[in-house]
Amino acid sequence: MTTTERPARPAAPQRAGVIGTSVPRKEDERLLRGDGRFTDDVDPARVLHMAVARCPYPHARVVRVDTDAARRLDGVVHLLTGADVRAATEPLTVLRPVPGAPQLPYYALAQDVATHEGQAVVSVVATSRHVAEDALELVEIEYEPLPHVVDVLAALEPDAPVLHPSVLDSNLLAVNSDGSGDPEARMREAAVVVEGRFRISRVTALPMETRAVVAEWRAGARELTVHCSTQVPHLVRKQLAESLRLSESQIRTVASDVGGGFGLKLGVFPEDVLACLHAMALRRPVKWVEDRAEHFRASTHARESVHDYRIAADADGRILAMTDVYTTDIGGWNSPFGSAQLSSVVLNGPYRVADGYAERRVTLTNKTPVGAYRGYGQPEVNFAYERLVDQLARRLGVDPVELRAKNMVAPQDMPWRNPTGAVYDSGDYERCLRMAADAIGWAEHRAAPHEPRPDGRLVGIGFSSFVERTGYASSRFLARRGSQFGAHESVTLRANRSGGVDVHTGVSTMGQSSETAFAQIVSEVFGIDYDQVAVHAGDTGASPLNTGAFASRTLIAASGALAAAAEELAAKTRRIAAWRLDAEAADVEIAGSVVRHRERPDAQIPLAEVFNAAITGQGIPPGEEPGMESTSHFEPSDAAYSFGTAAAKVSVDPQTGEFDVERFVLVHDGGTLVNPTVVEGQIRGGLAQGFGAALMEELRYDPDTGQLVNGSMMDYFPPTAADLPPVELLHTEVPSPVTPFGVRGVGEAGTIPPGAAVANAICDALADHGVELDSLPITPETVWQALSRAAAANDDHLAPTPGDLPDGGPG
Amino acid sequence: MTAPPDTGAHGTAAEQLVEIVTTVNGQEVTERVPPRWHVADFLRRCLGLTGTHVGCEQGVCGMCTVVVDGEAVKSCLMLACQLDGRQVQTVESLAEDDRLGPLQHAFSEQHALQCGFCTPGFLMTATALAYQGGRPSREEIREEITGVLCRCTGYENVVSAIERWFAEDAPMGSAPLAAGGDADVDVLPVPDRAGGLRGAP
Repeated sequence: MTTTERPARPAAPQRAGVIGTSVPRKEDERLLRGDGRFTDDVDPARVLHMAVARCPYPHARVVRVDTDAARRLDGVVHLLTGADVRAATEPLTVLRPVPGAPQLPYYALAQDVATHEGQAVVSVVATSRHVAEDALELVEIEYEPLPHVVDVLAALEPDAPVLHPSVLDSNLLAVNSDGSGDPEARMREAAVVVEGRFRISRVTALPMETRAVVAEWRAGARELTVHCSTQVPHLVRKQLAESLRLSESQIRTVASDVGGGFGLKLGVFPEDVLACLHAMALRRPVKWVEDRAEHFRASTHARESVHDYRIAADADGRILAMTDVYTTDIGGWNSPFGSAQLSSVVLNGPYRVADGYAERRVTLTNKTPVGAYRGYGQPEVNFAYERLVDQLARRLGVDPVELRAKNMVAPQDMPWRNPTGAVYDSGDYERCLRMAADAIGWAEHRAAPHEPRPDGRLVGIGFSSFVERTGYASSRFLARRGSQFGAHESVTLRANRSGGVDVHTGVSTMGQSSETAFAQIVSEVFGIDYDQVAVHAGDTGASPLNTGAFASRTLIAASGALAAAAEELAAKTRRIAAWRLDAEAADVEIAGSVVRHRERPDAQIPLAEVFNAAITGQGIPPGEEPGMESTSHFEPSDAAYSFGTAAAKVSVDPQTGEFDVERFVLVHDGGTLVNPTVVEGQIRGGLAQGFGAALMEELRYDPDTGQLVNGSMMDYFPPTAADLPPVELLHTEVPSPVTPFGVRGVGEAGTIPPGAAVANAICDALADHGVELDSLPITPETVWQALSRAAAANDDHLAPTPGDLPDGGPG
Repeated sequence: MTAPPDTGAHGTAAEQLVEIVTTVNGQEVTERVPPRWHVADFLRRCLGLTGTHVGCEQGVCGMCTVVVDGEAVKSCLMLACQLDGRQVQTVESLAEDDRLGPLQHAFSEQHALQCGFCTPGFLMTATALAYQGGRPSREEIREEITGVLCRCTGYENVVSAIERWFAEDAPMGSAPLAAGGDADVDVLPVPDRAGGLRGAP
């Protein structure tokens, strides 16, 4: 595997500070020494352990619960049933409601009816997890299985069993539509219309650390402390207060080290509420750590959707209209973030089109609830429109790269509003496309004859161009959708007597390197040494109220807050130092660990001395307030759009459908890069998840029994080190005009293009066979089936004889 | 090191405990453990060595990988009582005095970790690999670490870090010997994801 780094940063200004440099990460040392503080590592004295009995059916009435035998087991301390939970709590709340949807009643334990396998029914607390699980064996729960539906389209049929009949007549939770112009008229006028139905598989984020919670209640103080593996500690606090009927002032949530989130750990889950209820009843700490079998059934899944996408174009290949009517599966309940919403927002990807329409049909099924997952609708819609762009090129007989280039939004057109209201801020989309085509050798490939290699394989190249929405357009945008959080971030900077600056943030640390990036920005703006900045993350007791780490938004919003707070502290530092040096504030500067006179280098004063003066109020100028602390909030003026093009080169065996991704090039623009090494890590990690969803991962349910059939690490295949293709990364760097420092989010880009690029490459290789792939994941089996279908349709002899399956397994 | 006094931490008072004598990171430890506890339970709950993480308790994800008698072992698939007479090495042993060891340093230099939850698994897998002697190629390293999953990095930098460590610093040769251990004690076989069985890991 080769890795080519070809940074192409046109005229990037050289900076004196640490922004733009790959400084060592703040997070590394403790994690490398095994001294991270993940939630299971929190081990209070006299802690008890919780285990949860779960519904084994996809849809069932809970007829009878008998806990007597379990209560008698030595070591069992406390049990909760649905009735207990109903008496003591309110239903769980959501953070990002589905617009137009009624609220679905969902308590931490199932009430009369459970709507998915894995839904919590009884919880037990005992002296150890082992004993608690022993007790689960003694809990007798009588179920009456009810008719179920697990297929997302079948769930909308008139005869489908309805999951929530008290609030809905069908399983259609809501229909959200957006668009502009008259796409139907363009479809009628167009020389060409290409359309297809694209199925995206159900996958899961699968963080390596499962969910976990430790709850402690001091009854006398009425103080609930909740350690929780979450991306949004302040929002967990809000939701716990709502469900537990407490005031937020009574709750402190702490997320110190989080072992991966990827969107899954957004908001309160039933077990968080249960652990708190037990702890409050027992006045002892209660811990629950999700096991992996629970994780596959009771956390959240993602992506599953069926897209009916159409593109209309004139005879010259100019795109006239794009529409997507898609059905997303939300599972048995509306989780805090619900099913993905961004397929509509970036409906058209990087292509300029005036007439467009997106319709999202959010559908309930008897499966594990769907939540957010890195990409949040963008990989799904990219697969649909990029597959169709290639089909359009074939129909018109034109070069797919030229077709893309012709239709891309041009730099001079931006800011540009797309048909569903997204404002693309800036960028050079075509340059990324051209760089990808050059790097992969597109011109040579296109000129070469379509012949099998000596090994019998056909070679193909495929592209996927994309935009990535990063951050939120504004709090007004969120308010229109009922979202329970803002578009801003906030931060508190507090100088200390040792001469350092402490940064307090509600953004928890989950691998995104925010501690490092935040310290870089403070160092850059304030002038203090990077090593003298300490970041304290994820504690609601210490940090200002914020939104949290998701939607590739942290740095976009937090960098503004960090810069403002650092500027305020720096100004005060200079005023105090200047007074003590008998100079003007304008004549002194902060340099590392000192404040010095610009012209008199010998006139300097340690930062520690300035901070001490401020903190004690002794030795500061008349009229200056004591203290050295600043809290700032910042909301960016708009979302920033990252963008890029991926190119995949594959070889395919036309007899068996086996294929290999031999090269994969990604040209990406993340605006100004605060830390290039960290950005590359984010892109590579996102790509790994993108390849997983594109080529390997699929959660399968048996339609007859409604059971998840591959809900374990043995049966579900995230990529290992040996499964990923060689990746070559190239960057451009167009600063965004809507964010501080010109940064764009980079967290999700990698998840977007792998599926479409690989599918397009396979279809290019098999163009003479007439193969068009339309579902994820792409496996040797699905390619072989597509070859067989194409052969049957063409009635020729190009395809393999139907019958034997290749033994490729999940590719 | 002693066990926490609260029997509750070990299960119920009625649960029969098994006494083991084992060497952990060079220190001999005598402990009484419930027979159904696995090695990761023992390390985390008896000894407070929380650097060994638990990710699936099925022997697949590799978060809990430690070195037992010089070999990488998924500690969720080995019972604590099987440690009797054996020598265990965990991530907490890798730092030198108060500084990162060379392998840890290579991981930091190469940005081979993000959330860090899987990192101890990779570090101990690489440590065991070095005990085998020789200098593995990049492709061999890639194969050797497939027993540890990572959802953050895409693995490339993990491979680079281990490769660099072998090139610059890795101690070559045999594993530390078990202190009076029985080298023939069977280790539970680890089912691999293709459905076959092989020795741990």
